Amino acid sequence: MAGSLARASRKFWQTVSSIKTGVILLILVVIVSAAGTIILQRPVTEPDEMQRAYSPQMLQLLDALGLTDIFHAWWFVLLLVAVSFSIVAASIERFPNAWRYVARPYKSTDEIFRKALPNQVRLAVRDEAFAIAAAERAFRRMHLKPERVTSEHRTSLYAEKHRISEFAVYIVHASLLLIFLGGIVDAVWGWRGFISLTRGETSNQVQMRDGSTRVLPIAIRCEAAGQENYTDGSPKKWWSKLVVVDAGRDTLRKEIVVNDPLVYGGIRFYQSSYGMTGKVDKLVLNATSDKAGTQEISLNVDEVAQLDPDTTVKFAEFIPDYVVRDGQIYTRSTQVDNPAAHLIVESRKSGKSVNYWIPAIEGFEQNAASPYKFEPKDLKMAYFTGLQVSHEPGQWAVWAGVILMGLGLAIVFYLVHTRFWATVVHDANGTLQLWVGGAANKNKDVFEHKFRKLVEEIQSELKQQKETCIPEHEHEPSLAGVGNR
Amino acid sequence: MARTRVEQQPAATGTTLVVMVGLSVAFLLFMAFLNVVKSGNLLNESNLLYASLIFYAAAGSLYLGFGVTGVASYVRFASLATWAGLLANTGAVAHRWYEAGHPPFASIYEMLLSFVWTLAVLTLIAEKKYGVKVIGTVTMPVAIVGVVLMQLLRTDVHPLVPALQSTWLHVHVTLAMLAYAACALSFALAMMFLIQDQMKTETFLAATSLFTIAIYAGILTRFEKWGGLNVIGWNPEQKSEMFVAKGMRLFVVIPELGWLMLVVLVAVAAPFALYLAFRLKEDENFLAIANRAVFVSILLQALSLVFFLLRVRDGRYPSLDVDGLFPTSLQASPFILSGLVGGIFASLLYLLLLWRRQDLERMLPSSEDLDRITYKTIAIAFPLLTLMIAAGAYWANRTWGSYWSWDPKETWAAITWLVYAGYLHMRITRGWRGRRAAYFAILGFGVVMFTFFGVTYLLSGLHAYA
Repeated sequence: MAGSLARASRKFWQTVSSIKTGVILLILVVIVSAAGTIILQRPVTEPDEMQRAYSPQMLQLLDALGLTDIFHAWWFVLLLVAVSFSIVAASIERFPNAWRYVARPYKSTDEIFRKALPNQVRLAVRDEAFAIAAAERAFRRMHLKPERVTSEHRTSLYAEKHRISEFAVYIVHASLLLIFLGGIVDAVWGWRGFISLTRGETSNQVQMRDGSTRVLPIAIRCEAAGQENYTDGSPKKWWSKLVVVDAGRDTLRKEIVVNDPLVYGGIRFYQSSYGMTGKVDKLVLNATSDKAGTQEISLNVDEVAQLDPDTTVKFAEFIPDYVVRDGQIYTRSTQVDNPAAHLIVESRKSGKSVNYWIPAIEGFEQNAASPYKFEPKDLKMAYFTGLQVSHEPGQWAVWAGVILMGLGLAIVFYLVHTRFWATVVHDANGTLQLWVGGAANKNKDVFEHKFRKLVEEIQSELKQQKETCIPEHEHEPSLAGVGNR
Repeated sequence: MARTRVEQQPAATGTTLVVMVGLSVAFLLFMAFLNVVKSGNLLNESNLLYASLIFYAAAGSLYLGFGVTGVASYVRFASLATWAGLLANTGAVAHRWYEAGHPPFASIYEMLLSFVWTLAVLTLIAEKKYGVKVIGTVTMPVAIVGVVLMQLLRTDVHPLVPALQSTWLHVHVTLAMLAYAACALSFALAMMFLIQDQMKTETFLAATSLFTIAIYAGILTRFEKWGGLNVIGWNPEQKSEMFVAKGMRLFVVIPELGWLMLVVLVAVAAPFALYLAFRLKEDENFLAIANRAVFVSILLQALSLVFFLLRVRDGRYPSLDVDGLFPTSLQASPFILSGLVGGIFASLLYLLLLWRRQDLERMLPSSEDLDRITYKTIAIAFPLLTLMIAAGAYWANRTWGSYWSWDPKETWAAITWLVYAGYLHMRITRGWRGRRAAYFAILGFGVVMFTFFGVTYLLSGLHAYA
């Protein structure tokens, strides 16, 4: 029973760690993500656009299957988790093999290895100590650090470079997991919302995507905001001067622009839009009466101005784009295309109040009854600055992962683990030979040049030592098995 | 066995010359219609671009000419023409950069400009450094399609909207262009590997036929309406697409063009049907007919291209949604146009292979070398892709406060990355070499092209700039 359980768990482990499982999972991710780009996704797509694109039954089906929000569906997250597990399992399965290169480097060669190694050469030598010394110098000249390995009856040389290359794949895999981890942290604890502020306004309420409101532990105040245009009128720059208010004190002040956010306590404020609120910042009027002459007043909505000791005027209502329909005044949009202002002129003594409309809208205005005539001089609209607010605690893991991955990939592709051996052996006839071998874990074609160069260096060193050296042709560096990972 | 069956045509037969001349005429007509030679400063951007087009086209036809005549010195001249084209292209890039005040990466037009430049550079590197002499046979047509597309897309310098004013944008796009050009190169190398790997010529016939079928079937399913071709209306004053309502484009129907395309679809499908018949009946005669059918299909494809150009350029057409007649423009249908041009190039490349396979094989490096160089190009492309995605994510994070939004462009970039990751895993851990690796490289480039063009024109999203 226990045996079968062990067998089953081993089988399970083999399945999970196999490259086949990994590739099948990757194919699934590809198919599902491709579907997510073709099927319209909520909440990016507006509900009415969804309804226009799909029939009600279809939409219901897509919603029920979670296909309208694939990238946030539980099964998609599960898929990514499965990919992570597959990566971890595959790495664990293969890691011991790579670890062996580091923990127990193969330094002194044996007969079988010397026969099988593709890159090798045998040079005839007279004396073991001389040959090893010559090889050592040649190794050094090739910027290798040879290590003398002495076993009971022979001395040999071993040198290696870029051992880390064996680990590069694990670095890449670890970095991918780090990125996933950051993504999961952000998906669970991160959030994103929107604040819109007019000049001078302070707020700690963030509008979330789903319509709810999140209250921040700090408040943000907009001191000024604006837009700069290109000569053709298209926007060049949006900026906002923001102040962070923490526990009632102004703690940080920064002018932000698009691409340059304000960060405070892990919360980031991004300039994302700028526009008209459809609200009035200031309405400048000339008020004229027979008695008091003309005076200039400036009003905001709901503001009251004293015209003379008896008379006040209140800016009751502003309609940016008015239209009269069925005896009612509506606004068509928040664009100031067809503005109307509703003033109420009150006289304290008589207690009389008059509705004054600019322009005069028939059926609503009592302009003739007003003691004052009003003439609009200037209308300043209030602008809002749109701030994207986000909290992404996992992003540091993501960036760390990205950097690690760049490093890992650079090592994977461009650092080659090379190993070289040199030792003195006797051939079948009993003649003394210097056996030189080399191995690389990738880019084997480039390595062959390097190996040949090393052999040439050794040969010239041996010549200088007045050693006769005749390379044996049957053992020329073999070109067979040239391949590349 | 495949070799013996190939019809080896005598060098430069009358028919091939006629095809070449006919195509050049069609091409020049096409360019004349586009008014590319504009008056004014001699060294302005459009003239430089036109010069690079001529040189690239010359390089492309010299590579093709080598294919037809087998004269090896053509390749040397082709390489010279590529240098000249690159020079003019560099001038155009510099001019654009100077005029716009930012590196040319802000719109799909500017990106194409950079892409073609990178492709030409990589072609020359592959030729000089790795000795892949005929790589231009594949990359030059791509460059030509790129330059032609550029002529259609908006060329006036647009100021950058606030979101695009970032150094990270330049980093992101430079990496993207380098990565995509490397992918294009790996695609060309993989194709050459398949030639060198004794892949049967008729397999290429089937692939070419399927590719063109996909193009015409795609165009017809997407745009065909009652025998006409339903294309987007174009407002010449505003230089923009016409809209019925917000987000709803105005489509106009060009009559009869749909039927013509349907005929072409049948013509391009015929070689594939004949290929299937050959496989079933094992009768070589079918293959001979299929090769003639490819020839006929090229003529018909060229015809449909010319008709499409003529009909789109003059005349106003009715719309199904709104009363009245509206003009359209080639600029409104870059997808159809690049499809038509791409189909012709693919079929021509097949003819080149059919007639000059032995010369090609003599000119190309060994299949082992090609396999290795393909891998090496992907080994360059993959880290670049990774960094491109990372730079894009970092930029998005600075701009929108979110490094990953599952926007279609982002998602497809990730898919591209996954496909190449799959290639690398299969190659490294499973030892995939040769054919399977080559197929994977070709698939990878297909995904790259979809990410670059398909997502921009077929799917909508945040990445609206390009």
